[in-house]
Amino acid sequence: MFRYVLKRFSQSLVTLFIVVTVVFMLMRLLPLEGYFGDGYDKLSEEQKVAALDRMGLLDPWYVQLGNFYVKLSRGDLGTSIIYRRDVPVTEVIAPRIPYSMYFGIFATLLALIAGLSLGVFMARKKGRGLDKAGTAYIVLINAVPSAVYLLFIQLYGTSLFNLPILFDKYRVKSWILPAISLSLGGIAGYAMWIRRYMVDELNKDYIKLARAKGLPEKLIMVRHVMRNAFVPMAQYLPAAILSTISGSIYIESLYSIPGMGGLLVDVIQRQDNPMVQALVLIFSSVGIIGLFLGDILMAIFDPRIKLVKGEGSR
Amino acid sequence: MSDSLFEFADFDENASERIGYSDYSYWRSTVKVFLKNKIAVILLVVLSILLIFTFIQPLIPGQNSPTKIHIDPATSVQMRNRLPDSTFWFGTNSIGQDLWARIWSGTRTSLLIGLIVGFFEMLVGITYGALWGYVRKLDRVMTEVYNVLNNIPTTIILLLMAYILRPGFKTMIIAMCITGWLGLARFVRNQIVIIRDREYNLASRCLGTPAGRVIGRNLLPYLVSVIMLQTALSIPGTIGWEVFLTYIGLGLPVSIPSLGNLVNEGRLIMMSPELRYQLIFPTIVLSIITISFYVLGNAFADASDPRNHV
Amino acid sequence: MENILAEKILDVKDIVIKFNLRGQVLTAIRGTSLDVRKGETIAIVGESGSGKSVLTKSFIGMLDKNGWVDSGSILFDGEDLAKFCGEKPWLAIRGKKISMVFQDPMTSLNPLRTVGSQIGEVYALHRGYNAKKAETAAIEMLNRVGIPDADKRHKQFPHEFSGGMRQRVVIAIAMACEPRILICDEPTTALDVTIQAQILDLIRSLQAEFGFTTIYITHDLGVVANVADRVAVMYAGKIVECGQAEEVFYDPRHPYTWALLSSLPQLGIKGKPLFSIKGTPPSLFKEIKGDAFAARNPYALKIDFVQEPPRFEVSPSHWASTWLLDPRAPKVEPPEIIKHLQESWQVQNAWLSGSKA
Repeated sequence: MFRYVLKRFSQSLVTLFIVVTVVFMLMRLLPLEGYFGDGYDKLSEEQKVAALDRMGLLDPWYVQLGNFYVKLSRGDLGTSIIYRRDVPVTEVIAPRIPYSMYFGIFATLLALIAGLSLGVFMARKKGRGLDKAGTAYIVLINAVPSAVYLLFIQLYGTSLFNLPILFDKYRVKSWILPAISLSLGGIAGYAMWIRRYMVDELNKDYIKLARAKGLPEKLIMVRHVMRNAFVPMAQYLPAAILSTISGSIYIESLYSIPGMGGLLVDVIQRQDNPMVQALVLIFSSVGIIGLFLGDILMAIFDPRIKLVKGEGSR
Repeated sequence: MSDSLFEFADFDENASERIGYSDYSYWRSTVKVFLKNKIAVILLVVLSILLIFTFIQPLIPGQNSPTKIHIDPATSVQMRNRLPDSTFWFGTNSIGQDLWARIWSGTRTSLLIGLIVGFFEMLVGITYGALWGYVRKLDRVMTEVYNVLNNIPTTIILLLMAYILRPGFKTMIIAMCITGWLGLARFVRNQIVIIRDREYNLASRCLGTPAGRVIGRNLLPYLVSVIMLQTALSIPGTIGWEVFLTYIGLGLPVSIPSLGNLVNEGRLIMMSPELRYQLIFPTIVLSIITISFYVLGNAFADASDPRNHV
Repeated sequence: MENILAEKILDVKDIVIKFNLRGQVLTAIRGTSLDVRKGETIAIVGESGSGKSVLTKSFIGMLDKNGWVDSGSILFDGEDLAKFCGEKPWLAIRGKKISMVFQDPMTSLNPLRTVGSQIGEVYALHRGYNAKKAETAAIEMLNRVGIPDADKRHKQFPHEFSGGMRQRVVIAIAMACEPRILICDEPTTALDVTIQAQILDLIRSLQAEFGFTTIYITHDLGVVANVADRVAVMYAGKIVECGQAEEVFYDPRHPYTWALLSSLPQLGIKGKPLFSIKGTPPSLFKEIKGDAFAARNPYALKIDFVQEPPRFEVSPSHWASTWLLDPRAPKVEPPEIIKHLQESWQVQNAWLSGSKA
């Protein structure tokens, strides 16, 4: 078990390192205006070159990468140029994380409870009314772009239920729509997966044996089918929780929630390169860590897991 | 009962073989199962009509250009925000352009993007996936590449690409192509790995079946289902990303109407109830397209699964 | 145990079982009868698709969702199992009075639960044992079926056991509440030959100890020769011949039984092609006129295509459903290979004959 954790950890570390390097390289392609702010056009060529040199942007890429890791170990993600002049990136980001996380965790919990329950009921009443309704819901969420249906939820949710459009820390009513919106995709996803796992389990041979033992169908569902189907669901949990850090770009923007996602949109529109770079790195790392933790969780719950060579998982 | 019945009957060896004759054709069965799915058939008809109309529309006499700004001859003022009437079937937008023309033009653009991206995804995805699954030596390397690419969130890549290359038609296509093929490659690879070593393929090879036939009759039917599903799903996917990117400000320029543009234009004025039609019309068209592709893709994938065949 | 006059424990009469397959009705069992005597070991043999599994599944109500008992009766313990409706009445039978062992031990156990808990579950369910008592009983049962170190191994998971051991666990589960009938559906097909013998011995010794009745389903005539008191031969949804094992093996009367026995590889003559039955079984979607085996039967009479043969008695314990036994039929000798069966068999497989308990 420990060896598995170690192996998986080093795998993730390598992937993380490669991802960071690749992203870093991509960053070198960012438009140069992003480093200068308003005065860009007024600077002469020599001044631009000098400024870039001072910022260390003319050094060879491996030197830049090295510097980056050194700074990272000290907790320095660079300094914002345009968004908040001369404020360290970490300071800009820090107050925004809690917003994303609170919404994210609430939405994840809601999605888990609602989604898993829905999926279980759908599997049990397969082919009947609830299953069909649930399937229609999943189809809608998956087919129609989220950008579209979330818009409509904001539109009609605010008018039908008399809810405020924009987020306000002090008005609880303004929290409802964004939180529910955030969970919709998760509900569809979890419902679909758990239903699929359960239906798969129901066809397995050991379920036949359980029936031949004389177990009533209800007990089989709970003790064997559900228990077995929930295990593979575990792998999605850490990623879901961690992704709350990144926040939902679209929803935060729609409701003006001062979170991480909204921040990314802002800095892209304002062209603040250090901010863009830092945020992109955070978002990528969060994903990798989530997958790693998910695999560990799976190894804990499923006694059969051994590390298989060369598996392109997920 | 006459005693003559107790004489021996003629024994025809071949007659007994005929009892178990099976009249099975893979594609015929696929179509049959598909047609049983009523919702899918209805959507297929609806979508076909919509698609045909989308491309015929400019050829119909009396259609306006999607970019032309209409000016009221009486007042010399732009015909802004007109509600749907007999001249403008979907009304006009905030600068006086014919929404009906814009929507169909936008649909064409979005579909074009979707098709190009989908085609590219198929090409690259299948090739990469097939090599990945079939050639054992490449498996390790390709898996690592996949893991790295998969871990970078698509959102980030798209945003970055659009940010770096500047928003535009070509950028959007390039960016979506880069991120889209991974999923299909993974499916194709998994299928090939599973099927390649199955006994019936080994048996086929032992019997001397040429490789082309093994691939064509054993592997292909499984792959078709997965490929159709992925390709059909990629169209709603591309449209979704397009709407998202346009919202962020990294989408197509306003001069090229697209479903993403239209939805976002509609969003800007969605708070005034009487102008909501500008959001609703593009949304309806978009929804019909995305839902149809999604449902049809899944329905075809189910129908082409031999296990569902009669 | 050769008690011909022992009482019937299971009495199946004219049972018809149908399935609904994508709109068409398949008649898997076309009206057949079978009686199972207390304490005996009876084997049902036949090729794939003959209906042997379906028949026994109906004894515990485990037909697939699209199947049903159309007519006939299954009398057991004073009740007609064919009339059972819904799940509830079966809960008192399954695992308690009639148990089943399935074919593939690798997939029969829940991979995420310990072996001990899966056995204990049966005790808790049918006898109301609490957790501790169930665990003790499970360990004891594991011992009985020959799993070493049962007190430690009961906490292990199925993937930590070999195929043969898993089958022992499955047998332990089936035996836990001392059922009256044990149905074994090809219990050794998925196992190595050496393990096969062990498993058959295990079942035999358990039977001697507990005194239950065993129904074997198999297509392996070697297994039949090893364990069976009586044999029933099935073809296309009907039992065509039934009798004591020696009678069916050494004095078979139905042409299908002849064909089946002829295809034993052990009877092959070196240098000559192995015998195989030409053709395939008939489609059960359509109604079959006459004898189902007629088209593949080189000894078929004209009447075989017209009317189905009734049962003809060969001896009080042996009958066959073939027109050849009708007094009006021509005298037919079974193929050479069958006549020499007894000799060939004794020569080639000394352990098979006379090794029954």
